[in-house]
Amino acid sequence: MNGVPGGGLAKGLAVTLKTMTKRAHTHQYPDVEPDLPPRSRGVIALLEENCTVCMLCARECPDWCIYIDSHKEEVVVPGAARPRQRNMLDRFAIDFSLCMYCGICIEACPFDALYWSPEFEYSEYDIRDLLHEKERLGEWMPTVPAPPAHDPNGEPAKEETSAAKKAAPPTPPAPSI
Amino acid sequence: MTRELTIGTGAGLETSDMVLNIGPQHPSTHGVLRLKLVLDGERVVSCEPIVGYMHRGAEKLFEARDYRQIIVLANRHDWLSAFNNELGVVLAVERLMGLEVPERAVWLRTALAELNRVLNHLMFLGSYPLEIGAITPMFYAFRERETLQAVMEEASGGRMHYMFNRVGGLKEEVPAGWTKRARLAIDEVRRRMPDLDNIIRRNEIFMARTRGVGVLTPAEAAAFGASGPVARASGLDFDLRRDEPYLAYGELDVPVVTRTTGDCHARFECMLDQVYVSLDLAQACLDRVDQISGPVNVRLPKVVKAPEGHTYAWTENPLGINGYYLVSRGDRTPWRMKLRTASYANVQALTTLLPGTLVPDLIAILGSMFFVVGDIDK
Repeated sequence: MNGVPGGGLAKGLAVTLKTMTKRAHTHQYPDVEPDLPPRSRGVIALLEENCTVCMLCARECPDWCIYIDSHKEEVVVPGAARPRQRNMLDRFAIDFSLCMYCGICIEACPFDALYWSPEFEYSEYDIRDLLHEKERLGEWMPTVPAPPAHDPNGEPAKEETSAAKKAAPPTPPAPSI
Repeated sequence: MTRELTIGTGAGLETSDMVLNIGPQHPSTHGVLRLKLVLDGERVVSCEPIVGYMHRGAEKLFEARDYRQIIVLANRHDWLSAFNNELGVVLAVERLMGLEVPERAVWLRTALAELNRVLNHLMFLGSYPLEIGAITPMFYAFRERETLQAVMEEASGGRMHYMFNRVGGLKEEVPAGWTKRARLAIDEVRRRMPDLDNIIRRNEIFMARTRGVGVLTPAEAAAFGASGPVARASGLDFDLRRDEPYLAYGELDVPVVTRTTGDCHARFECMLDQVYVSLDLAQACLDRVDQISGPVNVRLPKVVKAPEGHTYAWTENPLGINGYYLVSRGDRTPWRMKLRTASYANVQALTTLLPGTLVPDLIAILGSMFFVVGDIDK
């Protein structure tokens, strides 16, 4: 032991005294909403119109907690020779008691039908009630925040690059000689 | 439970040994580690750690998951160092595939790995004093953790299971202004660390409980394959970040924190000083990230397949050496992925560490081994 006897204790108490003069660091949660970043992985929201029932999300899910049912419908397209077949989504459910919140389904979705939302207040008393159907998943869509801008040193988001390409005037065809 | 009872006829002073189970449900075991102790009065005669109560078959599950899905599982065995766990997996796959990771991703990964190390250490710096009776450090440690978790969450979306590594780089670019906010958070933690330091490091009661208690010799540490702060506290000067640099550590000057006494207090101090080192390293990495522009990942084929072969990627995780031995037969899943975890080796050292100690010191020693049960049982 070095120093004055009890010096270590006194040093600790000095910290306590210092802290006493400061405001508490805690947020009173139910009264004060937490300030969550847009990337926060709270819940998975579904934009039903974008879903084409390709099943990629359900296949890529590491613990297979996405359930999808669909049927085929014939759609008569004016001008087309034959009616087209279309997949109609009957059921899209995510079992949040199994979900590991990895976000692979959202990454895998080629049609931007799934989004992360920082919403987290959906606890239930019964584990079976955590299986959420497409109606409930759709209700979370309005809570999805806009993605944050990328660091200017890095590459811009894929969506940004493709949007810029579309917005750019078409390059004139090379003059033929 | 077997009870050994020796009934003496002649010798009146002969005592009987008692077999005592600590755990699997005991708050000091951080989960479900079970210790089978043979006690002679207050003294531990022998100790056998019985592991496996939280075995989740991670290695077997790896064999049925593609390389992106493996990251989900891999960051869960040691839930306090998720980023470092992910890192080993992607490093192994990248090595087999011969992928070159963009420089910006390498430096970002290094920064995030160091931030994760700080988070992990802060958890133990809070929980260890709590286990031996000091409740206050927990609050200070968690205040710092919260500050850093906010930074990690802003980049990755997760607070514990970041899922931010991908084969070939990172999931996505960090948000604009993130490096600045990360730097501010680091400054804030560095400024407030003396609070935690002053309140406990030289506290007389804490020292009385930990000084000279549970001394692990360097030879024993090496024999059991202990690594990380536990081994470095015994004077085993081994740190992969310096001795076999991966990521950007080769370009960084990594000071290795060591102690020689090998007791509980040395292990605690190793961790405490490591926090300062890691904060500095993270800061240095962020400075470099700001100078490098470019992508943070490489374009991968739709189906990622590691070519046939095998490799062993080990990293210096917060708790010690974490290794993945990946054997691939060219499929989209590994044929076998062996997991070498730090806690598993460290906990084995309890077999020699505990005999001869007193039961009241048991919790102090157990806590100072800094293990995560998920990391032991996989």
